[in-house]
Amino acid sequence: MDAILRTENLCVEYRSRGLKLEIKPALKELSFSVHAGEVFGFLGPNGAGKTTTINVLLGFIPPTSGVAYLFGIDVRQPIARQRIGYLPEMTYYYKFLTAEELLRFYARIFGLPSTEADQRIDRLLKLVELETARKRLIKTYSKGMQQRVGIAQALINDPDLLILDEPTSGLDPLGRMKVREIIQRLRNEGKTVFFSSHELGEVETICDRVAIINAGELKVLGRVGELVAQHGANLEKVFLDIIGYQPQTAL
Amino acid sequence: MNTIWALAGVVIKELYRRKDFYVLLVLTVLLTILAGSVVFFQDPNIVRYIKDLCMFLIWISSLLIAITMAARQIPAERENRTIFPLLAKPVTRGQVILGKFLGCWLASGAALVVFYLFFAVLTGTREHYWPVLDYVQAFLLQWIMLGIVTAMTLLGSILFAAPSSTVTILFIVAAGILFLGRHLNTVALHNPEPIRSIIYTIYFIIPHLELFDVRERVVNDWGLVSWLACGLATLYAAAYTGLFLLLTWLGFRRKSLT
Amino acid sequence: MKKIPTGWLLALLLTLCFTLATVFVPRVGWWNAVPRAADWNKAQSQSDNVFKLLFGEGRRLFANEMFVMADVYFHSGYYPSMFDRQDTDRDVADPAHGQADDSDSTSDDFLGPPPDWLAALERQFVPNRHTHLSSGGPSGHVKEVEVQEILPWLKLATDMNPQMIDSYTVGAYWLRRLHKPEQARDFLFEGLRNNPGNTELLLDLGQLYLDDFHDTNKARNTWLAALRCWQAQDDNAKASVENKRLYGAITMALAHQAQVAGDWLQAIKYLEMVKQVSPYPDAIQKQIDEAEKKAAGGQ
Repeated sequence: MDAILRTENLCVEYRSRGLKLEIKPALKELSFSVHAGEVFGFLGPNGAGKTTTINVLLGFIPPTSGVAYLFGIDVRQPIARQRIGYLPEMTYYYKFLTAEELLRFYARIFGLPSTEADQRIDRLLKLVELETARKRLIKTYSKGMQQRVGIAQALINDPDLLILDEPTSGLDPLGRMKVREIIQRLRNEGKTVFFSSHELGEVETICDRVAIINAGELKVLGRVGELVAQHGANLEKVFLDIIGYQPQTAL
Repeated sequence: MNTIWALAGVVIKELYRRKDFYVLLVLTVLLTILAGSVVFFQDPNIVRYIKDLCMFLIWISSLLIAITMAARQIPAERENRTIFPLLAKPVTRGQVILGKFLGCWLASGAALVVFYLFFAVLTGTREHYWPVLDYVQAFLLQWIMLGIVTAMTLLGSILFAAPSSTVTILFIVAAGILFLGRHLNTVALHNPEPIRSIIYTIYFIIPHLELFDVRERVVNDWGLVSWLACGLATLYAAAYTGLFLLLTWLGFRRKSLT
Repeated sequence: MKKIPTGWLLALLLTLCFTLATVFVPRVGWWNAVPRAADWNKAQSQSDNVFKLLFGEGRRLFANEMFVMADVYFHSGYYPSMFDRQDTDRDVADPAHGQADDSDSTSDDFLGPPPDWLAALERQFVPNRHTHLSSGGPSGHVKEVEVQEILPWLKLATDMNPQMIDSYTVGAYWLRRLHKPEQARDFLFEGLRNNPGNTELLLDLGQLYLDDFHDTNKARNTWLAALRCWQAQDDNAKASVENKRLYGAITMALAHQAQVAGDWLQAIKYLEMVKQVSPYPDAIQKQIDEAEKKAAGGQ
């Protein structure tokens, strides 16, 4: 199966700005791939390198070495992002725009004809339940509403690959359920979803495969069921084992 | 190109949804009307000082609008993290720079149109004639100048830490060039070497914004500047604008997004 | 309570300040409207006005700039900057400049040839010819009424510095040229209120009464007052070149008045005064001789 998303020996190092030259490796020879049509979970503790990986995939930062491809195109080419949708962890959008204007703006970037853009905007606003608030400025939205705007803008170009960074972060249980439903629907439509999350229960429920990274290194990659069976425990236990967590013994 | 226009559209929406433009417009109108309400020697037809004041206020206001708008574009995108969903689309950093520039420049131009319409109405009611071509030419030249200022400010927003620093520095630079730019060669000639060479170098390096300042001509009814001279000035402006945008792109390319 | 945006507060405050300024300035003028006889012979009075409150003594600098602005307007913007004035070869402060006639003169071109291509290009965008508003300005169509454009600056100069005599005299001169003798008279009155006993203002006022109001009595009385004020000065003040010129102008005007009225003895008396300060005593002596003949002939 062709890989929609592929990294090969991806390395990212951050250099300190001070007089003392310090190099902090964020990713160490990360190699993995995501196939078409699957829901792929990208897990790791805080500071493991998940966001750095996503930043490289989206072209926000260049890799120090190694390569990454989206649809076989080097991620440094803007055209690689033509068929992807991205939902950032922190949902900030232009507060002086309405939801409708924001979606129309992004639709124009993708080169969508205006009639098609209108139809998609109507459909997406209905999907994320923001029809009644479409003409209100985003600065008047609650966090949950802004998250839903984020989902809508990630889907505006009907992407083949969706990259979600902590998609349920800060959402109430109802919001999280709706996000899971959307991911399920996308999988049913044959789309590929790549997302990072700390909600291991959700990951266990919806993901086909997961990768767990720690300190910039890929620790494990495989199907959720296989990992759970292999370790004889739930995904959370697997995660803790992989990252080497040792519970503190009572004094 | 679609992307650049889309980005420009967002900037223009931001202008008319923020209060800056309206405050400056109201201030300009109020101060001009106040000045115009004073009657000197019972002669209501004295008009040049009002034209002078109005044009001065228009210049100050348009510079403020252009500089404050351009200064916050890139820093606001980074600070508000709106740069991430934007660059996650098939948009290059160069397109972001061009889109921001085009939006700021067009928005400044739109604001300038409103200011000049007020100016034309005000002076027309007093002078009872409208040198429309003169006003159009003055508007075009000022708008072209704002292009240089916008590009300069975008570059400043990449170099300096905070939008407030960028605004302050660029306003001082722009005001300095407008007031002193054309006299630097005279100053250079009155100084010994090597100061003369240094000042002359600065004289040739800086973008001469005062080239586009035809207020004296408009206020004193000197008529149109030759279109050939305007064309040369436009090329001059295009060169500097292009240079500043190129430098901005080179700086933004390597800049962290956070 | 909904917070008022800062920008609107600022706009409101500025509007209030300027409204107060426009209200107070005429009222301050009214306070000074009634001439106080007791002050007539006192030292020049300083009027308290809003500009003094706002700017302090710096207002004199502003007043000078206002006067320069009037000159800039007179030349339709073609004016040397302070950097151009550094060049002493081109004396742009020559008081004889432009006074002989109203015709434009390329010999008064302070700019000289452009030193570089940029300066050559810049000159296309600024006023680049020496013109006078009174002779048509840039268009060349003589519309003397355009000179009125310099008046606001002269008025502002006097508001900033009421002791700036030149502003009053220049303003009155152009008001007369614009066929507004009443405004010219009122402007000179204002100058006299702020500068009681100023001989230059009295001299101009007398000329105004004679030329524009055709009131020889008022003209003579005004010049007599000017003469008295001049004579009341201390000797040091009288000895200055400018004061001698004024003395000569006042006494000449009185002498001419007397000649027209046929009062030859008075004319001779004043001509003798003129002769003391005139650079052409021989010519004055000739006039005295003629007057003596006429006085002797009973004409």
